[in-house]
Amino acid sequence: MNRRELLRSIALLTGASVVGADFLLIGCTNPAAGPALLSAADIALLNEVAETILPATDTPGAKAAEVGSFMSVMVTDCYTKEQQAVIINGLKELDVKATSTAQQSFMNCTAEKRHEVLTVLEKEAKAFNEARSDNEKPVHYYTMMKQLTLWGFFSSKTGMTETLRHIPVPGRYDGNVPYTKGEKAWAE
Amino acid sequence: MSTVQYDAIVVGSGISGGWAAKELTEKGLNVLLLERGRDIEHIKGYVNANKESWEFPHRGIMPTQQMLEDYPVLKRDYPLNETVLDLWVKDKESPYTETKPFSWFRGYHVGGRSLMWGRQSYRFNKWDFEANLVDGHGVDWPIRYEDMAPWYSYVEKFAGIQGSKEGLDVLPDGEFMPAMEMNCVEKDVAQKIRQAFKGSRHMFIGRSANITEPHQDRVNCQYRNRCWRGCPFGGYFSTQSSTLPAAMKTKRLTLRPFSIVTQVLYNKETQKATGVEVLDAIDNKTYTYQAKLIFLCASSFNSTWILMNSAQQIWPDGLGSSSGELGHNVMDHHFRLGASGKTMAFSDRYQYGRRPTGIYIPRFRNLYNDKRDYVRGFGYQGGAGRGRGIEVAEFTIGKSLKEALSVPSDHWGMGVMGFGEMLPYHENKISLDRSVKDKWGLPVLNMDVEIKENEKKMRQDMMNDAKEMLEAAGLEDVHTYDYGYEVGMGIHEMGTARMGRDPKTSVLNGNNQVWDCKNVFVTDGACMTSASCVNPSLTYMAMTARATDFAVSELKKGNL
Repeated sequence: MNRRELLRSIALLTGASVVGADFLLIGCTNPAAGPALLSAADIALLNEVAETILPATDTPGAKAAEVGSFMSVMVTDCYTKEQQAVIINGLKELDVKATSTAQQSFMNCTAEKRHEVLTVLEKEAKAFNEARSDNEKPVHYYTMMKQLTLWGFFSSKTGMTETLRHIPVPGRYDGNVPYTKGEKAWAE
Repeated sequence: MSTVQYDAIVVGSGISGGWAAKELTEKGLNVLLLERGRDIEHIKGYVNANKESWEFPHRGIMPTQQMLEDYPVLKRDYPLNETVLDLWVKDKESPYTETKPFSWFRGYHVGGRSLMWGRQSYRFNKWDFEANLVDGHGVDWPIRYEDMAPWYSYVEKFAGIQGSKEGLDVLPDGEFMPAMEMNCVEKDVAQKIRQAFKGSRHMFIGRSANITEPHQDRVNCQYRNRCWRGCPFGGYFSTQSSTLPAAMKTKRLTLRPFSIVTQVLYNKETQKATGVEVLDAIDNKTYTYQAKLIFLCASSFNSTWILMNSAQQIWPDGLGSSSGELGHNVMDHHFRLGASGKTMAFSDRYQYGRRPTGIYIPRFRNLYNDKRDYVRGFGYQGGAGRGRGIEVAEFTIGKSLKEALSVPSDHWGMGVMGFGEMLPYHENKISLDRSVKDKWGLPVLNMDVEIKENEKKMRQDMMNDAKEMLEAAGLEDVHTYDYGYEVGMGIHEMGTARMGRDPKTSVLNGNNQVWDCKNVFVTDGACMTSASCVNPSLTYMAMTARATDFAVSELKKGNL
């Protein structure tokens, strides 16, 4: 999957062009980001959000892939100041949402409750993104979290080699091999 | 100031310079190869070649804010990528100015862009060399396909080009290694296109400088498709994998990195060049080197920049400027538009391995009986593949989302992108801009280049014909796209020191000799008289080999 296809598929799944990847169009010139913006507690929370989106099944999930740390690096290095503010504020809003939906903080929710909270956010984010007056305005914080989860997990070692298949040195090419339904996709 | 004497000096170590160094040393000359950037050793220097995605902090895809700040030009297109960032020029150290938007993507290091190139390798055809004469744009090429054919063969055999023989005049066959295979969808589409257009349009595997058999000391392609990071197997042609080791083997090559050539030294009495002046990029000192022969292979615009900076006491606009054409007739290939679609067939088929080339559809417009409201034509590159992930219901997260994204897509996608010929317009030019200086205090280039009506009309066909063919091949959901094109994005900059038959209208003669100074040769993209629509690098290789052969025979005859 090339870069453009990958961006397109994540955009399709999240209903918004991938945050940080639209630089080709807008030509952002914000100065470089400083030290990491997210705390260990933030990263732990993001790990649980990511794990709820892509949980451990018969293969490890997003938490095992350390998607929380990946998100921290990406938000610090690749997001604009405006986008950073949205996702940092979103970490707080997430708990507000968890409290109103499940009467406790997101970290204290059971897996089922977390799933419920994020499903509410899925709908809220869609409505929010569609209602934006200007497509260049930041998307909903949950959309950012989901995009980074999908991206981070499927480019991680466990995501690429356990959930997907990856052969660093294929050695040959065959464009007509049999495929049986259910077989894993190639990571690249 | 120190002065050292060589038989020949080659400026630039990319595709053309590497070939010049190889040919000249193999013909017995002592050669100094000057490279303005750092050395990158074959294999050892490819620092990211074996890294996996998760070993890059940003997974190799999204640029950091720092990268966007540091690379204002590179960020305009795909080259801005952390997996190859060290191979592109730092824009801020080497600026240029733009009267009209121009994307200039450069590689200043040993091997130049031969390390990052797309490796597509096609011969110009007989009509390409006659096109200017026939439709009156630019000047006539001083050479014809027959002059180039043996040299194409010569460089193909050494470089290693994989491809299929198709027997088409529009895209002459070469000396190929066994071709890589089209996948099941591409084969099906190729067959349906041939049928639908009654044999007037063709699609086959893209010919590329990836070796499919062991060759010299190189291991055949391992289908990793990470060529542009440098190949530890030597699976594709680059200066490092191919021409540089051959030149080194003669023990007659001296490679000097960090050597910015600031001018060709010209002797008014003998009317010949005596050598070059070098600014050392590290110690900022000036050195001179003498030689009987100078080959400028510094990349199209930089070779011309050197000429513009040379012999200004005699010609204010520089060496080779007497015709008034130096810096003019800039060309590139315009592209970034086409069509794509999908097929639900072949859902029981998949791919193995990552093939480093796609398919090619050679030009079919304005050939034989076809006549359009523009001149020249275009070809397509593209390919089919089966992506990842099947559709899920809205708002799905958790186990079912993960599972849906873990399997191949339920369809294959297929896309093609047009690459069109750009005409040589005199007013499309580069010039010295003395108001801006680079990191070394040298004047920079100004770009004043645009596409015109002919290209714009052609772009309509490039998009519509793509859709028409994919639909004729039975693909579904076919849609066109146009990502927008800025001149330079093709990374095929050509012209600015064109070859010709008349010193009054061209900079170089039919042997790539500067009309005004016969021991200086220019054999990179600067020499191009017209652009064709095919990727130009193979032509630079053949042109360079041909010119070195002429130069050495002239030298032996005492004519230089």
